[in-house]
Amino acid sequence: MARVVDEESDEGLLLPPMSEQEEWSDVVPIPQDDGKHPVCPIAYTDEYVEMTDYFRAVMAAGEVSHRAFELSGRVIDANAAHYTAWVYRKKLIIDLGLDISEELSWVTEISRRHIKNYQLWHHRGALLVLLLDPKDVEHESQDQRVQNPAIRNELQFVSTVIEKDSKNFHAWSHRQLVVRSYGIWDQEMAFVETQINEDVRNNSAWNQRYFALTANQSADEFVLSEELADREIGYAVDKIKLAPNNESPWSYIIGLLVRHAPAMLHERLLPKINELAADTDYALAVSNTPFYWSALVDIYEERAKALEGKERSDVEAFAIEACDLLAKRYDPVRAKYWEYRKQALQAAS
Amino acid sequence: MSHVFSYDFRYDDNECETETSVAQAEVEDLVGDIYLNFVETGTLAQGGGAIDDSRHKLLRAKHEQFIHDAINGLPSSFTLLDASQPWFSFWCLNSLEILGCNISQQLRSRVIDKLSRLQCPGGGFCGGSGQLPHLAGSYGAIMALVLVGGNAAYETIDRPGMYSWLMSMKCPDGAFTMHAGGEVDVRGIYCALVIASLLNIMTPELVKGAAEFIARCQTCEGGIGPYPGVEAHGGYTLCGLAALDILGKTDLLRLDRLARWMSARQLAFEGGFNGRTNKLVDGCYSYWMGGAFPILQKALKRTRVDGYIYDRAALQRYILACCQDRRSGGLRDKPGKSPDLYHTMYCLIGLSLSQHYVGVEPKEQIADITSVYSVPVRMMQWGAMPASLLVLGLRSNVVKPVHPVYSVPYTPLASFVKHFYALPPLADQLA
Repeated sequence: MARVVDEESDEGLLLPPMSEQEEWSDVVPIPQDDGKHPVCPIAYTDEYVEMTDYFRAVMAAGEVSHRAFELSGRVIDANAAHYTAWVYRKKLIIDLGLDISEELSWVTEISRRHIKNYQLWHHRGALLVLLLDPKDVEHESQDQRVQNPAIRNELQFVSTVIEKDSKNFHAWSHRQLVVRSYGIWDQEMAFVETQINEDVRNNSAWNQRYFALTANQSADEFVLSEELADREIGYAVDKIKLAPNNESPWSYIIGLLVRHAPAMLHERLLPKINELAADTDYALAVSNTPFYWSALVDIYEERAKALEGKERSDVEAFAIEACDLLAKRYDPVRAKYWEYRKQALQAAS
Repeated sequence: MSHVFSYDFRYDDNECETETSVAQAEVEDLVGDIYLNFVETGTLAQGGGAIDDSRHKLLRAKHEQFIHDAINGLPSSFTLLDASQPWFSFWCLNSLEILGCNISQQLRSRVIDKLSRLQCPGGGFCGGSGQLPHLAGSYGAIMALVLVGGNAAYETIDRPGMYSWLMSMKCPDGAFTMHAGGEVDVRGIYCALVIASLLNIMTPELVKGAAEFIARCQTCEGGIGPYPGVEAHGGYTLCGLAALDILGKTDLLRLDRLARWMSARQLAFEGGFNGRTNKLVDGCYSYWMGGAFPILQKALKRTRVDGYIYDRAALQRYILACCQDRRSGGLRDKPGKSPDLYHTMYCLIGLSLSQHYVGVEPKEQIADITSVYSVPVRMMQWGAMPASLLVLGLRSNVVKPVHPVYSVPYTPLASFVKHFYALPPLADQLA
């Protein structure tokens, strides 16, 4: 039985089964240990059964060879979630002293078929730091580092994936790994803005904005200056204007301020959104979106904490009124949640 | 019971089209067409109508058949899950158990035989023959053995081996690597802690730093991501929250922000949940998000709101009307997608946790909540509260109550825990 081994190759070579190839004649394949009557048996192709049987034998023998390396690639391309094949492949690359840049190109090549796979991204990340030790570029400026071919290639690869699949969870995580490992924070905000301009609802990009802004410092370490807070409020409000019923900018700016500058919610954000709500160009869309009313609940609730007596109960009354409007009119699917928020406000007052 | 179905609840894109809003509109079209079938005759107006919820029916026999077909054989496309083999048994057995179907002795024996072949010599279970032990594979195997039940299943597990292997997966930052040389994220912590708490092998060394790692993964939006800095995601949120509940440390999270983010995941028109801000509805988040509410509400202590703080009827409507494949059986992500075992199990868990209000009576809150030795008490204090049952559609749609942290029905879980907590401490066995 002949079969196509490498669909990509120009020759389109038809190779005989491994059991008939001289190269593999010294290996005794190890079949899958499945028992007589396995549950949920998969109807594997003959080709997959054979390659994994040989691969088990090669791994069991701890073989370090080019043929084992080639075989790992075939197994991975047939089943990219085969984590053991990835681990073995990485070991072979190191033990055989293979070219890591070439390996990254191979991963790029097969990534088109396996873009949502965990192992592929993990493999890339592990190889990247082997190719370029972050310590080796520590002394360079961020601009210099971004020009380093290894880093540039990697950012390029991620951008290409995000271009096709703008919320690819692995791609965004991988981008964070590259930025974090090599400390190239300065360029990240520009990338984020390109992505938000592309789709203002891309929440992965909004999350990356927080990552870039804080340089991934912990909530306790990062200090949000007034100047930065104003800039971020301005940015979020501009994006809210494009489409007020977009959860991302609301979630971003409220989350950022609640965590790092709660007093700014009332002092700086509230006047801005009230301005929008009073502007005839935006008033209708803003007052119709639950995110506006929800922002008011958060802002007033936070504000009340800083007040006492009648001032406090007045502000809480505003928040409670907004909860009622949300539950009954603007956001009934969350009526129970708004009822809970209302009760929490009533219990506090 | 009738519910007003209205196109007013469709996503308002403010006439600013982007990739996100276009994809959202396509899903709403499909979902809207299905809900229209349930609108009472005579009530249909331009903007919608009254939905007759009494007609929703859980297609038990079809789903049971779908699962049995999978047990007998999976098509070659499942090769992509060849490194996740223990999960097949978990998905199938748990779905059958939740539906209340008979699980034959022969099937139980076949599962034990399969999983014992996937147990590795140094402890832990691998995803497929000849592979490295893997945390997700080990989690799937242990959960399947919980469901099989009985001494033959329990005694299959190499408990000391599991402990030493789990310790070897532990990272300095408090998290766990999924396998030797693998990725590190909140999923790993969840898998490790579920396994360890079930097998009575939780030690202070094993859990060290895990809770703090999860707390660092809470984003400014409020949900939990896989790793510090990464976007909040429904799956990782359930994993992180459940792991913290096992540790008795949900207080490390900013619970008010978490509640806000979680409640925002329910979609107004579809009724189901999405897993990230501005993403599409998916039936599996019926568990990852819906199932996180009981844990959240336990952490919030008394909420004083009757039942869950999300719309239970809307979620059940989405599962029953949109996720069931009426032809082939099985449940799915959304209309237009094919059913699979993963979605079948997670839609059913979501349905169960939405029907039954599960929680912990405040009087049962135990004093020494953070001690690793109070785990079995903490685990088994959960229960369904009969007064708060809400079953959409036919009365016969009710399925078995499920534990929100361990995602399996209570009876097999209690037997498993009883067995392993009667065993002597691990130190005696390791010595």
